[in-house]
Amino acid sequence: MEEKDRKKHRKKHSGPKADKKRKRHLNDLGLGDDEDARKRNPKAFAVQSAVRMARTFHRTQDLKTKKHHIPVVDRTPLEPPPVVVVVVGPPKVGKSTLIKCLIRNFTRQKLIEIRGPVTIVSGKRRRLTIIECGCDINTMIDLAKIADLVLMLIDASFGFEMETFEFLNICQVHGFPKIMGVLTHLDSFKNNKQLKKTKKRLKHRFWTEVYPGAKLFYLSGMVHGEYQKQEIHNLGRFISVMKFRPLTWQTSHPYVLADRMEDLTNPEDVRVNPKCDRKVSIYGYLRGAYLKNQSQIHMPGVGDFTVSDVSFLPDPCALPEQQKKRSLNEKDKLIYAPLSGVGGVVYDKDAVYIDLGGSHAHQDEESRALRPNRELVQSLISTHSTIDVKMASSKVSLFMDSKPLGSEDVENQEFVMPKEEKQIDLKTGRVRRKAVFEEENDNGASGEEEGQDEEMSEDEMDGSEDGDGDDEGESDKEVPGQDLGLRSAKRVKREETTEEAGMELPAFADSDDDLEMSSGEEGETDLDESREDKEQRENHNLDHRLGKKVVPTTDSGNCTAEEASDSEAEEDEDGGDDIENLLKEEEEYGEENDLSADTAGALKWKEDLTQKAAEAFLRQHQSAPNLRKLVYGTVAEDADEEDDAHEELGGLFHVSRPDKESKQKANALDCSKFPVETPQDWDLDEVMNSIRDCFVTGKWEADKDAAKLLKEDEELYGDFEDLETGAVHKGKPAGSEGEEEDKEGKEPKAEEEKNKRMDKKRKLKAMFDAEYDEGDATYFDDLKEEMQKQAQLNRAEFEDQDDESRVQYEGFRPGMYVRIEIENIPCEFVLNFDPHYPIILGGLGNSEGNVGYVQLRLKKHRWYKKILKTRDPIIFSLGWRRFQTIPMYYIEDHNGRHRLLKYSPQHMHCGATFWGKDYLDLQVYNHVPDFRIAATGVVLDLDKSITVVKKLKLTGFPFKIYKNTSFIKGMFNSPLEVAKFEGAAIRTVSGIRGQIKKALRKPEGAFRATFEDKLLMSDIVFMRTWYPVSIPAFYNPVTSLLKPAGEKDTWTGMKTTGQLRHELGIRLKQNKDSLYKPIVREKKHFNKLHIPKALQKALPFKNKPKNHEKKAKPTKDQWRPAVIREPHEKKISALLTALGTVHSYKIKKAKLNHRQHLKDYLKRKHKEEEEKFKRQKEAKKKLFRIMGQKEKKRQKSSLKGSREREK
Amino acid sequence: MASQPHSLSYVGCNFLRQRLVLSTLSGRPVKIRKIRAKEENPGLRDFEASFIRLIDKVTNGSRIEINQTGTTLYYQPGLLYGGVLEHDCSPHRSIGYYLESLLCLAPFMKHPLKIVLRGVTNDQVDPSVDVLKATALPLLKKFGIDGEGFELKITRRGMPPKGGGEVTFACPVRKVLQPIQSTDPGKIKRIRGTAYSVRVSPQIANRIVDSARSILNKFIPDIYIYTDHMKGTSSGKSPGFGLSLVAETTNGTFLGAELASNPQGQGTAVLPEELGLNCAKLLLEEIYRGGCVDSTNQSLVLLLMTLGQQDVSKVLLGPLSPYTIEFLRHLRSFFQIMFKIETKPSHEELQGGEKVLMTCVGIGFSNLSKTIK
Repeated sequence: MEEKDRKKHRKKHSGPKADKKRKRHLNDLGLGDDEDARKRNPKAFAVQSAVRMARTFHRTQDLKTKKHHIPVVDRTPLEPPPVVVVVVGPPKVGKSTLIKCLIRNFTRQKLIEIRGPVTIVSGKRRRLTIIECGCDINTMIDLAKIADLVLMLIDASFGFEMETFEFLNICQVHGFPKIMGVLTHLDSFKNNKQLKKTKKRLKHRFWTEVYPGAKLFYLSGMVHGEYQKQEIHNLGRFISVMKFRPLTWQTSHPYVLADRMEDLTNPEDVRVNPKCDRKVSIYGYLRGAYLKNQSQIHMPGVGDFTVSDVSFLPDPCALPEQQKKRSLNEKDKLIYAPLSGVGGVVYDKDAVYIDLGGSHAHQDEESRALRPNRELVQSLISTHSTIDVKMASSKVSLFMDSKPLGSEDVENQEFVMPKEEKQIDLKTGRVRRKAVFEEENDNGASGEEEGQDEEMSEDEMDGSEDGDGDDEGESDKEVPGQDLGLRSAKRVKREETTEEAGMELPAFADSDDDLEMSSGEEGETDLDESREDKEQRENHNLDHRLGKKVVPTTDSGNCTAEEASDSEAEEDEDGGDDIENLLKEEEEYGEENDLSADTAGALKWKEDLTQKAAEAFLRQHQSAPNLRKLVYGTVAEDADEEDDAHEELGGLFHVSRPDKESKQKANALDCSKFPVETPQDWDLDEVMNSIRDCFVTGKWEADKDAAKLLKEDEELYGDFEDLETGAVHKGKPAGSEGEEEDKEGKEPKAEEEKNKRMDKKRKLKAMFDAEYDEGDATYFDDLKEEMQKQAQLNRAEFEDQDDESRVQYEGFRPGMYVRIEIENIPCEFVLNFDPHYPIILGGLGNSEGNVGYVQLRLKKHRWYKKILKTRDPIIFSLGWRRFQTIPMYYIEDHNGRHRLLKYSPQHMHCGATFWGKDYLDLQVYNHVPDFRIAATGVVLDLDKSITVVKKLKLTGFPFKIYKNTSFIKGMFNSPLEVAKFEGAAIRTVSGIRGQIKKALRKPEGAFRATFEDKLLMSDIVFMRTWYPVSIPAFYNPVTSLLKPAGEKDTWTGMKTTGQLRHELGIRLKQNKDSLYKPIVREKKHFNKLHIPKALQKALPFKNKPKNHEKKAKPTKDQWRPAVIREPHEKKISALLTALGTVHSYKIKKAKLNHRQHLKDYLKRKHKEEEEKFKRQKEAKKKLFRIMGQKEKKRQKSSLKGSREREK
Repeated sequence: MASQPHSLSYVGCNFLRQRLVLSTLSGRPVKIRKIRAKEENPGLRDFEASFIRLIDKVTNGSRIEINQTGTTLYYQPGLLYGGVLEHDCSPHRSIGYYLESLLCLAPFMKHPLKIVLRGVTNDQVDPSVDVLKATALPLLKKFGIDGEGFELKITRRGMPPKGGGEVTFACPVRKVLQPIQSTDPGKIKRIRGTAYSVRVSPQIANRIVDSARSILNKFIPDIYIYTDHMKGTSSGKSPGFGLSLVAETTNGTFLGAELASNPQGQGTAVLPEELGLNCAKLLLEEIYRGGCVDSTNQSLVLLLMTLGQQDVSKVLLGPLSPYTIEFLRHLRSFFQIMFKIETKPSHEELQGGEKVLMTCVGIGFSNLSKTIK
């Protein structure tokens, strides 16, 4: 049954498979013609035209080079800061939900409300800082500047909204971060086809904005108020493997996205004057570039500040330690979001904060279970021993010394903690609790402070109780950022210890320097090894080893805190000890050597080896840090010590302590020359020999000496046979030497041997590379390699140093978690702090603080409804800054003149200039309802003076006219003014050109002018002049972050005159002349054309005016007499007329007849023709039919024949 | 609200050039007090005033305030402008005094600088124009400041006390500088020099050459010392003679030394032979100090390293001169940059004295004022 139903197999007649089959079939037949067209038909592929070939080559090369990016030095730090993921979208599109889901996906924690950035560990190598971007344009602009990845949420049920496009346009100007679209609300589509269509439409629109092929992610629907787990998981995977190209703006500026802010102002000051300027500390990951202490920064929305202090803290959300496993451990999945109130115990510089999960900590058991970080705190609470004991026993006390972390809000709690303090924000009534560790305060000085503090804290306790009463019902939702209003009352201050640390710090650095030096020495010796000949090499080998041995001793000697704090003298002793140790070891080593060495004679060099090594060590030990001290004076030293330093330097360095000697030198001669203090006697041989090797004639290092190299090459290439002479050259058997040395059993020899082998290998490899690789190394490749080298050097240079000293040299490197103190911040920043608005600290370059005139090339955005008016204040976003200023639009004339425009052109670029501070990227925006980005542009120039001119026409009237000379009045007021413009070009309205000649005595300001033609009295004479416009020095930073919460997006600066007029209802007084009136045209009457007689004469006849006068009536004598015929004559003439008429009629008739005949004939002829054609057609048809049949028959027969043949 | 970078304050007129140059580059105002306050003749000298005028010429919009007695100077830097300029230097100091600062500033102007400096070309105090031409220019080239419009031409020589020399200096503009790694000075392959004489017998130059060669020939045969005798208007207003020597190494390091005769009417007359010998010895001394940069240009190289991109630069120097040490301190206060200083004892016996390896990370300076066209 089934077999019956089954369809028969149908052969494929088209498609790739069929093609393949056909090809095979043809191949079998021997007809396969596409074996290789090139081979089969070489002529067709021969070079037809060299030009064309060159062109195609060029084209391919062009296409290839187009793909290249300019190589940049890769400056990304080894441990990069978290990637900034900005979630953007119009309101109600699901931004917060997405963030929550992502956090849940990565950390298994559920955040109730998200304020500010959230940092999470997303993988073994990557952390994310996720931040939501509101629809305020200020926020959008700020975040676009720092975003690494933008998740652009789009409501699919609605389509694109203006916010999306605004954000895209903002991104375009500030370098394009990676953008990934996310479509939400896809579940609202019931119809699948509709859904597909919408997706496609949105995708293509998205592609036109970003780039074709940009990733658009679909979140299909919600389950219990969350996105589907699998989809979020996929999105997370996408995010955590994404690669980013470094943006110039971001890599050239340090910046911090603050995830925490603290008010450090003295509470007393605040009490006295609540509006006093504040001192705040801001915490966050440093990104972008190195940040230096004391550098200038800009906080968008607040202003420019100088960093008063920077310190780095241990990473609160560290990447997991290296592990073999693919996935993260549960405990490594950290989350850090202090503004949202997430995190555990946090150690600040001078205080410890414990997060107790707010007042709902106990009600919400489940959520607590979700937070592993809380466990520590909970256990602290449940045990009733004092927290100090706990802390002392645990490692916490150790951390107290170290630099602090981010802080945590301690929420309201019912527990009575042993040494807690409650602090109340007077504004919000929120309570913070701080754990105080008194035992560790073992110095008396701070005791007093404490006493005071305690009093204060009691006050605060009262306050807090009140606060409790008021705000018991308050939940987590209270903005924790409000703690900024907090009086930073009592901290467990350890001033003494910190001071000590401060004292010790340089000592640390010094000892580090020692280490550095010794390690440097190591490196040097390593290098030397390759260079020097054997003996020296051995010598250095020894040194090298000694260096290695020394390192740990110095390490232990100097690096612990206690010892470092000891006096310098002790350190010196230490050093002495070290040297003694070293000597001992050296001796031992020497003995060993002696034992091992069979040939004692060759060991002469060893005799003073110990001494040398010791000396070298001492020298390094002392001179290096001293030189640094000498220059930077980081160590506070005693005077006599410094004198020592002076002596030690042996007269090499003659600069001195900055305080004393430089004061004497303050007015000394300013000269860069470095005179020789104690000239050496260059006639002596020893002295001369001391620089002998500085010349090419001297001895060369082993790896550069030509003779040596030659010899090595010989060894390398081993034996070869000279074919011409037949002589066989044998390379020295490499093993023989080695064997001999092996017999001696010397370790250095073995090492040397190894080095030699390595050298050989390297050389061979280099030769191989040279032969096979560098053939097509282009300029681009070279450049890339150079950059790579630089990047490697950058990484390697300070790698082996600890952070403390690294920071001194490099500044704070990106990736560090830093705490930045800033002073003189307006109090509104603290009082009106809203964590939903990002705080960004953007580092400024050296000349970016310059104020001057900035010139731009600018174009109005095509979606912005109006054109821009000169002198209307507008907000610019330039570099980090956002500010309002008054631009003047101009256009550059062909002669380079900058002519002022009243309005910006509609669709064209124009110049603009304003007074302000600059960097090169630019964005202009304005608060208008429709599309908020008014224009985009690029900064061309920054200068302190600028010339924009506007046209000024001076008018005058002739009062006396001679032939071509006229006297003009009313243009100037005095002969002096005229004198200034002598020789200037003037013109009349009718276009007669002229020149100013000279002033007249009377009337004042009148002058003589010549023209190319005679003027009329009714002419108006004018002169075009150019008048420089002054640009208003108005620079008003947008201080949107200082506005009270909820009003931050309502910042309005200076208003335009139009706005003011509109608001105040003032009508513009218009010039009567510029009003439009109905045009009345009078009928024109023209005079007759008069041609002078002389001209008339000269004209050719046809052009002569033919104005004949009307003829007068002919006179009587001019009339012709009438002829009167005879009757006979009358008859004749009548007859003739009749005959003529008859004849003409006849002829006419005959003509008509003839025409008719012809017509008929043609008709007939045509008919015949047609018939004939028809016949022929019929005959042809018949013929063809027969022929066709015949053909068919033949074919049939032939087919039959072939088939038969096949069979 | 927007705080201006607070000004730095110094005492005394020493290192005035450094301070003004760094202030101009960093944009931080500087205040210098007590300039020769205790001396009989207080205040700024002519040559310093001339220097300040020069700075004013090459910048646009800088504010300079000097009090009545000239003992206090406030300088708020403007924008480095450049262009085609002329400047009459004070004959109290040589053109080298002015040129050294211009070398620091010229690459960062808005328009390429082309300046004619008039005054004393060679004297005993400052590095002469010849030495700067031979040592500082190749140094700038290492940082990528190069091209057609980069030259220093001596059109006239002028000796102290009256001067009358003329020098044209032209320098292109760069947006960023390349980092350098010059830790190997190489070996000296040739020595070149100029023996000049103006308004004295042309034979003197030859005598100088002979005496200098007598010493240097012991080290290297490739020596060529040009004799430069200028006549007429190009010989300036005062008589004098001198020698400048430059040693070039295989790695493109230039070490210079120079000596000039005593100015007319001051001190005893100097024998040309003696001068030649002493100058050669000075060169040997400079070679003994060694490093990849000679002692006069140490500060220049450190400045250019500082102003590089955010990459590691390294340079090997001889012993640091007092001027350089002060310069390092100033660099720290103006740019917050600290150099890693490592002393390298000469590992081989016969290569001169102790060296210092200076390492730093550039501050990522970029010439924003350069116009985009």
